Amino acid sequence: MKKIVTIFALILAVLSVIIAVLPVSNLSIFPAIAALVLGILAFYLSKKSGSGKKMIQFIFLLTIISLLLTSYKAIFSKTEVSNNQELKEKEKESKENAIEDLEELDLDDISID
Amino acid sequence: MFVIKKTPKSFMKQLLIFLLCLANISLNAQNNAVVAGEKLIYTASYNMSGILTDIAQVTMETSEAKTSKATLLRLKCIASTYSKWDNFFKIVDLYESYVNPKNLTPYLYKRDINEGGYYKFMKYTFNHKTNTINSVQRRRTNKEENKNFSINAGTKDIVSTLYSIRLFDYKNMSLGAKKSFTIVFDREEVKAQITYLGKETISTNIGKKECYKLALSSSDQVLQGKNNNLLWLTADENKIIVYGKFKIPVGNGELKIKSAQGLKN
Repeated sequence: MKKIVTIFALILAVLSVIIAVLPVSNLSIFPAIAALVLGILAFYLSKKSGSGKKMIQFIFLLTIISLLLTSYKAIFSKTEVSNNQELKEKEKESKENAIEDLEELDLDDISID
Repeated sequence: MFVIKKTPKSFMKQLLIFLLCLANISLNAQNNAVVAGEKLIYTASYNMSGILTDIAQVTMETSEAKTSKATLLRLKCIASTYSKWDNFFKIVDLYESYVNPKNLTPYLYKRDINEGGYYKFMKYTFNHKTNTINSVQRRRTNKEENKNFSINAGTKDIVSTLYSIRLFDYKNMSLGAKKSFTIVFDREEVKAQITYLGKETISTNIGKKECYKLALSSSDQVLQGKNNNLLWLTADENKIIVYGKFKIPVGNGELKIKSAQGLKN
């Protein structure tokens, strides 16, 4: 029982760290909490049986790293669009081409300006 | 990982259709809300496992486009993923519509999309006398495809449609009033409908605003549910979109205003 709980907790802890480094870092909260709960359960079971707790400590460490990373990214990372020079040039070119196209249209019958 | 790669593309496509499914067909409605120099910036969020995640920025900007004969209004709409997504799935979509500034009737529409390596260019030249569109489509392979097709009177492209919903007279609309319109997208006409749900005051990034609340639906299955796709327009003369909620086949999300500049009123 303790072994299964520890393995699940480890998988979830690793998963939460992986998600925490991705752009969807805020989703890592779910596996992190699950890993924490299973880690506590594994800790309780190992205390009861008197077996080693090194793996459980490692699980807690991974979970804490994941939670800290997620919190840091949620607080400090800015959501911004990269400065896209290519897009600006495309926009300019597109407008120039559009005006050429519009010159060919019969716009005399519409009252603009 | 698969979800991450797939979702933004589908999301952007569906979001644009959602945005673009908001239109007005009374082409004779006079424009007293949209003016050149206006810039609206929105944040598009997607609901991932119950957590709203900011995915892209949508910028809607207007400017003048002068030809030797006339001055048209250029309506530009750019959707760009936030830089944190760029390594996973970069989206840069440019939509433009050149319209009559008095009633927002479109004359030229251009769509240039680049979504994670998928490229497509589409141009429509409207002929309102014959109710036809001359279209040009180009893909990454550079193969150009020309096609002429007929449209119903009053059909607009998605960008001019998006702006045209601001020309409705919501003040005199009764609760539950509906407006139908037709949008041309990917060379096909899509019927859509707006239902006026009344006024509501909401908090936005540009302050607390009294808004007109609208429900949207479309003839295709893009917009799901009866009142799941909602839109809030400021209840003033500008009638700008400040908030939107949508439910589409790939999930649901929100569109929130970030800033507004150069408004007419």
